[in-house]
Amino acid sequence: MGIPSVIVDRSTRLSGGPAQTILEVAGVTKQFGSFTAVKKVSFRIREGEFFTLVGPSGSGKTTLLRMLVGMEPPTDGDILLRDKRINDLPPNRRPTCLVFQSLALFPHMTVGQNIEFPMKVRNIPPDDRHTRADELLRILHLDPAVYYNKSVLKCSGGERQRVALARALAYDPEILFFDEPLSAIDARLRKMLQKELKDIQRNTGKTFCYVTHSLEEAMVMSDRLAILRSGAVEQIGTPAEIYASPCNAFVAEFMGEVNLLDVVGVKGGGAEWQFKVYREPIRLSEPFMAGIQRKLLVRPESIRFLNDGDTADNRFQVKVKNEFLLGSRKQYHVEGLGGFKLIVECSSDHTITGPAATIGWDVKDSQILES
Amino acid sequence: MNTLFQNRTEPEEGEHAVIEEPHAGGDSARGIHVFARLRRRMQTCSAAAGEDGQHGHGMLCALPFGVLMLFGFIVPLLCVIAFGLMPSHTFSLLHHMPTLENYRVIFTQSYVFSMMKSTVLAILTVFLLLLICYPLAFALAKVFRGGATFVTYAIASSLFVSENIRLFGWVIGLMKGGVLGGLLAKMGLPVDSFLYNVPVILVGMVYVYLPFMLFPLALGLQMVPQEVREAAYDMGANRWQVFRMIDLPLSLPGIMIGSILVFVLSIGALAEAKILGGQKIVTIAAEIETAFTFGQNWPLGSALATLLIALTMVLVFGALKKVDFESLLGRKAEGQS
Repeated sequence: MGIPSVIVDRSTRLSGGPAQTILEVAGVTKQFGSFTAVKKVSFRIREGEFFTLVGPSGSGKTTLLRMLVGMEPPTDGDILLRDKRINDLPPNRRPTCLVFQSLALFPHMTVGQNIEFPMKVRNIPPDDRHTRADELLRILHLDPAVYYNKSVLKCSGGERQRVALARALAYDPEILFFDEPLSAIDARLRKMLQKELKDIQRNTGKTFCYVTHSLEEAMVMSDRLAILRSGAVEQIGTPAEIYASPCNAFVAEFMGEVNLLDVVGVKGGGAEWQFKVYREPIRLSEPFMAGIQRKLLVRPESIRFLNDGDTADNRFQVKVKNEFLLGSRKQYHVEGLGGFKLIVECSSDHTITGPAATIGWDVKDSQILES
Repeated sequence: MNTLFQNRTEPEEGEHAVIEEPHAGGDSARGIHVFARLRRRMQTCSAAAGEDGQHGHGMLCALPFGVLMLFGFIVPLLCVIAFGLMPSHTFSLLHHMPTLENYRVIFTQSYVFSMMKSTVLAILTVFLLLLICYPLAFALAKVFRGGATFVTYAIASSLFVSENIRLFGWVIGLMKGGVLGGLLAKMGLPVDSFLYNVPVILVGMVYVYLPFMLFPLALGLQMVPQEVREAAYDMGANRWQVFRMIDLPLSLPGIMIGSILVFVLSIGALAEAKILGGQKIVTIAAEIETAFTFGQNWPLGSALATLLIALTMVLVFGALKKVDFESLLGRKAEGQS
């Protein structure tokens, strides 16, 4: 998973003033028998933001989502919509709408009937419904003349995504939830739809809450994201914040290809401390107790190949094992004498002379994380 | 049948909330898909006929069934139609000139009423069974979960006992001084007999044909993806709206198949009217039987049978035309990419 090297800070949009909390999740827990799928999860979604819940399979994100839309009751905790407790409101009385992973379009209806469904249920007159459906189709770049009477079964994957989104927008919910609707789409179309979704979110000003296992997807679209692991929130922040300072090794690893080295404190004293990686000393910036184990995060782009005259806080003799060209970047897999493996990234015009090399990084480019 | 009503695998953790795979819907659902695919294959096969040897191969494979259909169905059917055109009380197809005399007799005598009675009984049976079975099928497909297999076996097991034996069981229960009558008499409510009237015939038919309505209905309802119902509910629809706008149209194939099955079976029903109804109602099937046996009038019986077949075909194909089966059954194959 490639992480864009330049992260645009999307939080600027919200910096005009503290946006109001629209949905508050307070200590929500869900148990299935003895299994706890969601453990005391708390976060707030702000009005008009694109919020993403990211986590690997089994992290409880879908269960959490089903509680937020009212399809599962939480075992414990509260869900507050504009400060009103909505725990016990059934889905059809919540002003929220879920776009399913399967999209759950109505197979026996045309595109137009699908989009008009939420309005028909509310007894909106047919003419108004039709006008609104046409409008939504146009917003989603589907020509009403072609698509209104088309069966949803005859639509392609990308068209179905748009119809599902149009139908959800027709419901005019306060918050739109998404359960990985893009996961079944091929990579190229997915990238396009991600950006389109983000555009639609901006243009409509709706609050979106998106669930995905793909961090890449989360980074592209979100204003803020929450990272989930085995039912609990690990970290919440803007993509830039989380990328710059992951709170633990799990988050760091989840954010992309990074070097995480096991380090253990050996002795203290003086301004600098020494640690061991495979029994090799490493210098770190912060004090560290002897015997404590941590993970050391060094990004591949922070490590560089050193010539004789270059200086770095940490220097290692390594053997280059493999080389990969990643477009404008080049990646090397290297192995230290002690047996530790590192990933090094540099610009693609870099050449190496032989398998033996010296690499190094500065103390300021590394972080100590809890595992 | 054992996999028919097993619960759809609920996402334990909620991670793979995917609609059922096209062929994960149990054996019978698979059967329908296989049938649809087979037919499509046959169409492509016949389109490619003559271009390669594949076609001849298929014909060879179909030969045993073809022979069976020819001598077991088509030839007897043609015989029946031909006999219907013979003068009454004749036993040969060769020595007489064809005549429409039998049909004149049928339409001038009470046979028309028998046919109407049978039709009305069949339609009432279908209607009552729809009312009884839809909620039960819904429970089987969506509510019972683990218990569904047990209920399915319990209902299917009634088919293990011959229909006549079951009906005579009802006679013992309902006759004068029988189980129910005797009990009521002991309680001081002397009742003559519950048998030999139209309602009891109807009850018997509903009872006997219940599985034939229930299983197609449950299958049809099981084909309605749970997420589609949830989506409708999520978008503000109440239970009634979900039922009317989602469940009902999407389970229409099951409704149609069940109704047609029950209609065809019950319009030719013989035993219920005879055993439970006494001679109160003479159904068309009973008339046909009488003509062939007691009446020794094969041509009349054949003409009646031909009319019954024609009537059934008109009603069934008329109903089938109303439903776009192609799109309803094909939706899984095309859908969910």
